Amino acid sequence: MSERLEKGLQAMRTQVDARVVSFMSTCVHCGICAEACLFFTETDDPRYTPIYKTEPMRKLWSREYTFWGKLATTLGLRRPMSEADLADWERLVYDGCSMCGRCSMVCPLGVDIAYVIRKVKEGLSAAGYSPEDLVAASERARTIGSPMGVTAKTLEATIRAQEKESGYPVPLDVQGADYLCLLSSGEIAGFPEFIGSLAKIFHHADVSWTLSSEYFEATNTGVQLGNSKLAAELVERVVTVVEKLGVKTIISPECGHAYTTIRWDAPNFIGRPLPFKVVQIMELLDQLREEGRLKTSTTTQQRLTYHDPCNISRRGGVLQQPRHLLGMVAPNFVEMADHGDMNWCCGGGGGVSSNERANPLRLQVFGAKKRQLDEVGVETMVTACSNCRHMLEDGLEDNDMEIELIGVTELIAENLTETKPLPPSPA
Amino acid sequence: MTAFVDGPLWNFALLVFLLGIVWRLFSIVKAGSKPDYSVARRSAGSGAVMTLFRRFLPRRDMAPKIRIHTVAGYMFHLGLFALLLFAAPHVLFLEQHLLGVGWTPMPYWAFIVASQLAFAGLLLLWLRRLLNPVTRLISDADDHIAAILVFVVMLTGCLALMEEFTGLRVLHRFTVELLMIYFPFSRLMHAFTFIPSRAFTGAWFGRRGVDA
Amino acid sequence: MRMSIKPASVERRLCAGVFLAFLLGLLGLAPLPGGVAMAADKVQTELAGKPNNPGAELWRDVRQRDTQIKGVTQVEGMDAGVLININGERWRRFRMEQLIPAVGVALGGVLGLILLFHLVKRGVPIAAGLSGKYLHRFKEIDRLLHWTVALVFIFLALTGLILLTGRVILIPLLGPELFATLASASKEGHNLFGPLFLVGVIGLFIRFVSKNFLRKGDIGWLFKGGGFFAGKHPSAGFFNMGEKIWFWLVILVGLVVSATGLILEFPFFGQDRSLMELALVLHGVGAALLIAGSFGHIYVGTAGMPGSLSSMTTGYVDLNWARQHHNLWAEECESRDEVLSKSEFERSRGETPLGDRPEPLTRGDG
Repeated sequence: MSERLEKGLQAMRTQVDARVVSFMSTCVHCGICAEACLFFTETDDPRYTPIYKTEPMRKLWSREYTFWGKLATTLGLRRPMSEADLADWERLVYDGCSMCGRCSMVCPLGVDIAYVIRKVKEGLSAAGYSPEDLVAASERARTIGSPMGVTAKTLEATIRAQEKESGYPVPLDVQGADYLCLLSSGEIAGFPEFIGSLAKIFHHADVSWTLSSEYFEATNTGVQLGNSKLAAELVERVVTVVEKLGVKTIISPECGHAYTTIRWDAPNFIGRPLPFKVVQIMELLDQLREEGRLKTSTTTQQRLTYHDPCNISRRGGVLQQPRHLLGMVAPNFVEMADHGDMNWCCGGGGGVSSNERANPLRLQVFGAKKRQLDEVGVETMVTACSNCRHMLEDGLEDNDMEIELIGVTELIAENLTETKPLPPSPA
Repeated sequence: MTAFVDGPLWNFALLVFLLGIVWRLFSIVKAGSKPDYSVARRSAGSGAVMTLFRRFLPRRDMAPKIRIHTVAGYMFHLGLFALLLFAAPHVLFLEQHLLGVGWTPMPYWAFIVASQLAFAGLLLLWLRRLLNPVTRLISDADDHIAAILVFVVMLTGCLALMEEFTGLRVLHRFTVELLMIYFPFSRLMHAFTFIPSRAFTGAWFGRRGVDA
Repeated sequence: MRMSIKPASVERRLCAGVFLAFLLGLLGLAPLPGGVAMAADKVQTELAGKPNNPGAELWRDVRQRDTQIKGVTQVEGMDAGVLININGERWRRFRMEQLIPAVGVALGGVLGLILLFHLVKRGVPIAAGLSGKYLHRFKEIDRLLHWTVALVFIFLALTGLILLTGRVILIPLLGPELFATLASASKEGHNLFGPLFLVGVIGLFIRFVSKNFLRKGDIGWLFKGGGFFAGKHPSAGFFNMGEKIWFWLVILVGLVVSATGLILEFPFFGQDRSLMELALVLHGVGAALLIAGSFGHIYVGTAGMPGSLSSMTTGYVDLNWARQHHNLWAEECESRDEVLSKSEFERSRGETPLGDRPEPLTRGDG
């Protein structure tokens, strides 16, 4: 057995838990999960069937955890696992799956397929069968602190530019603030207006907040790659910074996987409860709205819809808050047919958009989103994930569709009532 | 032959069936669960229970796409349960050999209708498994053996309906015993493991505040 | 290159003759209704000319030769007042001497004709060879319905033939005890699956009737011998005349077989013996027609016309097969740009390489 294979299998063995055994025992190969997966529905290729993507785990479980499997393998009646069992699944798992979890919502037997696919990634990455772009991004995350190579210097420059543009101060490294906001590199690089919008909103809502220059990255490439050790390492950096700044609550910004990671998975990566609370930016904004601290005076008349980022809504549980917020500023808000917890994935999450090899495929599967948009007919699409936004921009361009994209926070900031005057700026 | 099938083979099959099921369920527990240190938004327990029942019906947005699964699936499963538990010869058998207590069986015509639905459902599902590219790819020997074995059990039962020929009754009982021995080591265990599966997933989504 | 005309026309005549013989063979089943009456007469003439029997008058009355005697009993039910069934012997002799042999001849004959055809012609290959392009012919629901009905039909045919021919063929082979078991099993199975066949036939009707109406060129197709014989293959649409004949046979005869089956299986609605006999004859004759037809259907769909089977398995057919056998339908598909390339077809089966980077180590054993 090759070293690569052994590493991969060993990594997967550590992932086998009661859930995995239950799921592997229960799937009856009915194929319903395929009908929920955009990688299947847009390509008609049966290999993108979600449960098929878990084959490496099923083969391992079957050979090492079942009666017939163990007997047959011992007697030499069943071939042992080979490197091909991992290598052949790299494209299916990394290019052809965003871990959006739609499959897990529809399985009649309750199999959480996305959960198992996440565990298959542990095996593939340990064996070295991961896309090179993703591996490189993880290295940058580990060494530089950002998968896209955004440094503290870049952040500071962006902050200054945003202060100028918005006219509001952006606190950095403020000790004892109530909230520390993490940022995704994608936001800093592509949609920095998020920072300016936060500054404006928090000023008028009287929120004590800060950014951190020491560690600011919201995304966790360890999760996208499937490397729990790296994931834990990146979480520890957040914990360190939070403890240093003495902050009680973290704001998870507009990024899907960042939210599920820091809110739901992070404590389990580090094996202990987090010493701070986590709130998604829309949860906080909605809370401010309820407390009467968030006031808007204008609205956008455009016919618009909301794209639920999979890991914020379906896998994260933040479903109603965006709708409350949009209710404040968008009288012409319409829902797409499959919305909320059954929204169709943009196709770029979970590391798919960071993987250049997957470009043709992710643009092809954008067809699902295109269909939704053609049906609902809107001028603007609002979303709450910078990765989704990049993907949606690519897809809209690829299909010559003239739909504007905007983030929730930005939209609120645009229509915010300026209740609190700015302190006079030092000359 | 009859004495063997009615005697030692039955006892063996019953033992394997019961112990096997317990063993398979135990192996789920044995694999263990790490504690979840995240702060739940809603109750995991209620999520587990809700999902356990919710998954009996397809989601409204999915229903048109999976009509054949739903219709044929329920034809088969409901028909099978009806004739397993309420066919007069089965009620008698369960009373005499297993439970010591019986109940009112369904009338003969209902039994016939139930078995026709079960046959039709199983035939449709198994043929679809062969004809559809997705199921054709993901199906393995276990899926086919299970489907064919269940069909043979049902068929031998139907062939013995006149209840006059020992050979036919013994053939039916023999195939039943084969099925009982096969059951715990196969995908047929989904009949029991669907409960922990749905519950696990329901709990996972439930604590996040999502109705799965 | 000059095409020699003579051999083609000789072959054509020969094959046309065989075809007519096939039709006649089927017609061999026609005398059956007459046969019922014939058997009765036979018994009658046998008795004529025998010496006078002192108990003749009593027995004449018992046999009800001159009068219909219907008795009165306390038992309620059809024909409960009949002490001795005078039709029993007639029916038995009809069944044993007419019905069963006729079915045997029909089935054996058709089987033999098919064998002969295959030995002579070795099937009808795709003249232009496989094109590597595909047309989508049957949706999944149609294929599902077809195979469900097919399997149910085969089961019914087997059990039905066991019940029909048991006395003649199987009891001598298996002995009465084993046959009794087999017959009981067959009866129960046959009765249970019968209604499923009816539901299936109704389903087939709903799905396929719109494609099976007679259109211009269908009769011509038939007289030109379809695609079976040498010479230019006549035009055909989605379904050719042969398929349409088979469709209507399945529907109409299938309905008769199902209806008579229901009459036989549920004798609670006032059916008397003579109605049951009629039902049984129609049921058997109809079933024999369907079984004979199914031999032809299975042959053409497999060895008879290579390229046909995939229409019912994968749902796709080769473009050249379609152009040869269903040219009008093929033209329509091509004009609507519905032709699949080989790689598109393979992708839907999960058989293409994933992406354009270096190939994976293997294609995976799935």
